[in-house]
Amino acid sequence: MSNCFFEIKDGNFVASEKNKVNNVNLQIKEKGEIISLLGPSGVGKTTILRTIAGLQKLSSGEIFLKDKLISSNHTHTDPEKRNIALSFQDNSLFPNYKVIDNINFGRKRSNGNGFSYETEDIIKLLHIESILEKFPHQISGGEAQRVSLARSLMSKPDLLLLDEPFSYIDQNLKDEIQYSVKKLLKKINLTTIIVTHDSYEAFSLADRCGIILNQELKQYDVPYNVHHEPNSLEVAKFLNKGVFVNVKVNNNDCAVHSLQHEELGEIKGKLLKTYPAGKSVKLLLQPEDLIHDDQSKLQLEVVDRKFRGTNFIYTLKTKQGEHIPVFVHSHHIHQHEKAEKFGIKTPIYIDHLVCF
Amino acid sequence: MTKYNIWFFSSLFVASIVALPIITIFFSFFSETSNYFNVLKNTFLLDYVSNSFIILISVLSITFLLGVISAYFISFYEFPFCNFFSWALILAFAIPGYIFAFSIIAFFENYGTAYSILTNFFGEYNYNLHIPKLDGLTGSIIAISFSLFPYVYVLTRSSFFFQSNNYIEVGQNLGLTERETLFKIILPSARPAIIAGLALVAMECLSDFGTVSIFSVSTLTTGIYNSWLSFDDLNSANQISFILLIFVLTLLSIEIYSRKEAKYHQPGRGYKPINKIKLTGKKSLLAFSFCFLVFFISFIFPVSQMIYWTLKFPKYIQDINILKINLNTMYLVGLASFVLVFISLFINYGSRISKSKILNYLTNFSISGYAIPGVILAVAFITFFSNLSDLINDISSIGSTKKLFIGSIFGLILAYFIRFFSLSFNGIKSSYDKINSSIDESAYLLGYSKIKTFSKIHIPYLKNNIILIVVLISLEIIKELPITMILRPFNFETFATQAYVYASQDLLEAAALPSLFLISWATILIIFSSKYILSQKN
Repeated sequence: MSNCFFEIKDGNFVASEKNKVNNVNLQIKEKGEIISLLGPSGVGKTTILRTIAGLQKLSSGEIFLKDKLISSNHTHTDPEKRNIALSFQDNSLFPNYKVIDNINFGRKRSNGNGFSYETEDIIKLLHIESILEKFPHQISGGEAQRVSLARSLMSKPDLLLLDEPFSYIDQNLKDEIQYSVKKLLKKINLTTIIVTHDSYEAFSLADRCGIILNQELKQYDVPYNVHHEPNSLEVAKFLNKGVFVNVKVNNNDCAVHSLQHEELGEIKGKLLKTYPAGKSVKLLLQPEDLIHDDQSKLQLEVVDRKFRGTNFIYTLKTKQGEHIPVFVHSHHIHQHEKAEKFGIKTPIYIDHLVCF
Repeated sequence: MTKYNIWFFSSLFVASIVALPIITIFFSFFSETSNYFNVLKNTFLLDYVSNSFIILISVLSITFLLGVISAYFISFYEFPFCNFFSWALILAFAIPGYIFAFSIIAFFENYGTAYSILTNFFGEYNYNLHIPKLDGLTGSIIAISFSLFPYVYVLTRSSFFFQSNNYIEVGQNLGLTERETLFKIILPSARPAIIAGLALVAMECLSDFGTVSIFSVSTLTTGIYNSWLSFDDLNSANQISFILLIFVLTLLSIEIYSRKEAKYHQPGRGYKPINKIKLTGKKSLLAFSFCFLVFFISFIFPVSQMIYWTLKFPKYIQDINILKINLNTMYLVGLASFVLVFISLFINYGSRISKSKILNYLTNFSISGYAIPGVILAVAFITFFSNLSDLINDISSIGSTKKLFIGSIFGLILAYFIRFFSLSFNGIKSSYDKINSSIDESAYLLGYSKIKTFSKIHIPYLKNNIILIVVLISLEIIKELPITMILRPFNFETFATQAYVYASQDLLEAAALPSLFLISWATILIIFSSKYILSQKN
């Protein structure tokens, strides 16, 4: 028995010797939560989804949905009896049926969840009105993904599984569709698990986010914490949003902790773990942690500058050879060229000091 | 672990049935033979082998030239009627080698059609002195070549068709001339397809029985037939079959290997269709003349010869019960198609849902039947069921079971099944493989059971392909000669057997009407399936 809407207990998911995820514990307490599973390609995210859907058997452990055991060593509810919809990455539309017929295939099991939306609402929401009479081979990959999503939604499942659902959708449409889909899922209170390798997508859509690395679920938390407070070096490196610099712990007793870097000087903030004073640790520096200040005495050499639309990312070099990224708003009054000096505001204060 | 379920045992059963001829021939090779085989070894066997080889090498050379040149003209150039020729050249598939043989004999014989034409145009004279007389070997080579060249044409054309224009443009950009582009880029990349086409030609050529028999040329196939029919020596027939089978299976391996190679030449992203060059003047005339000549000789010539004979000797229209032959042929075609398609669907579906490797090996083994020449299959079939009947007779009081399998419709359908299961199974498989397994999974997740997924998703998707398979099976059965000839019930005639029986009685004129019906049915079926045949991506 489980007290959660959905739960995986000690789940071992195996597709092949390389493609497996061990010892997964994951709970969705309330109906209507959106969960994202984030990890590199080939790590086993899809295997987890396929096993939850019943297309593969669970190697060991238990999976519960609405208090009912659906997968274990001895139990395996057939996929057609689970009322779980899976929207595949390759969309898997029925090639010999028109788009509208594909969507209507979903109606077969629409006695499951009592949603109030109709086919027309879904079609409008996903911007597929103009392709209803076309066959799958006549539409683009992005359109096919939206049709697949529509078909899954039409089956009104208890649990919706989405495997890289927006990967082929054009960037300009992606944000709008993601926003609409999230709004709809929340409106109809549909519990959803999304698998993606895109951290922005995972963070923006989900209430909670799981990081899968090296055949394990490494962290399962709200997106803010996953980004700012990664619980391991592996997760921090995977998210790849900063660099690690060598620092020494100054003071561990006060409300505000202090670290010392040879060139950056004192760095203040809140340590997530406690370390003895004097211990050498690696501090995660993310691009948003340091603030540019032309008047500052702390000047570092610019080795690279990338224009990212809303901002520039400057890469600065310390005397120890560390390369530190720093965001600067793209409307900043002037730009710095390579080999020029670049000022950093001191004293440095970072909300979460993530050290390993 | 393999599950020993209904799918496994069904596949095992089908594989065993299809393997019957090969197993029978293999075991017969170690059986004792009569003196006839020893006599044969010291006398005609070498002739059989050498004639078979001479025909094979010559046919390969001619079909290579006819198939590749016509495919080259049609794929890369625009000239008058090029679109017409692109599909008209495959009409040669409608003319079996033995009907082409009747036409050649009728045209070149003393006082034959050539003589009549010359007399009509230039008046009475003894033209027989100047009309070349083709010997049996030359006649066989020409007849087989013109009836088989479409294999090379179809595969080469599709290989050319799917070559990206990018390669040709890169060649031009690197300074290659048109000729250098042809020999350094176009032909090398079409090589696997050409070899696959030639391997098919070689298999069909070695399997040919009707043509060489009409021209009285002794080859391995006629040797097998004569050992069985004239000398009543099944073991000798099977020993010659063993020799022939080794050649054919080697060719089958070459064909399979070449097709795998050809897959690497499939168009990928960035594919650009070929820009055809418009020919003018002499070049245009040359391309047109070549294609016209090939089309004329391969199709118009035999068809007009058959029409000419039918009209010239109208008494055969009354003598031959053409309605009965039509019904017989349709009966065989309908029954065989139903059995083949039903079992192919069943085995394909089993292989798909059970995802067993052993099952895949079994089904792959089942498709070897197509490589076995009809004459070998028929003789091995008789050998096996005669031995089985004797065995049953020895251990029980049931009596002879020969009649059930030999000279019966049931036996004939079983032999067709062995021969054409590959065509039917692979045809359905190629379409089935296009349905991604995640499509089945999507259906399950939408609440559809396995049976509903099969009926609602698979069958509607496979429908067109099944119709096409039925058309192709029909085409093969209508043209099929040795199996029908040897295993048919007494007095049961199809177009092919009726034409052959008359021709073997030296009544070539009488053979014209059934031949004409055969060609008409085959032409309709080819036109129906031409879009598919021409779109084959190797």
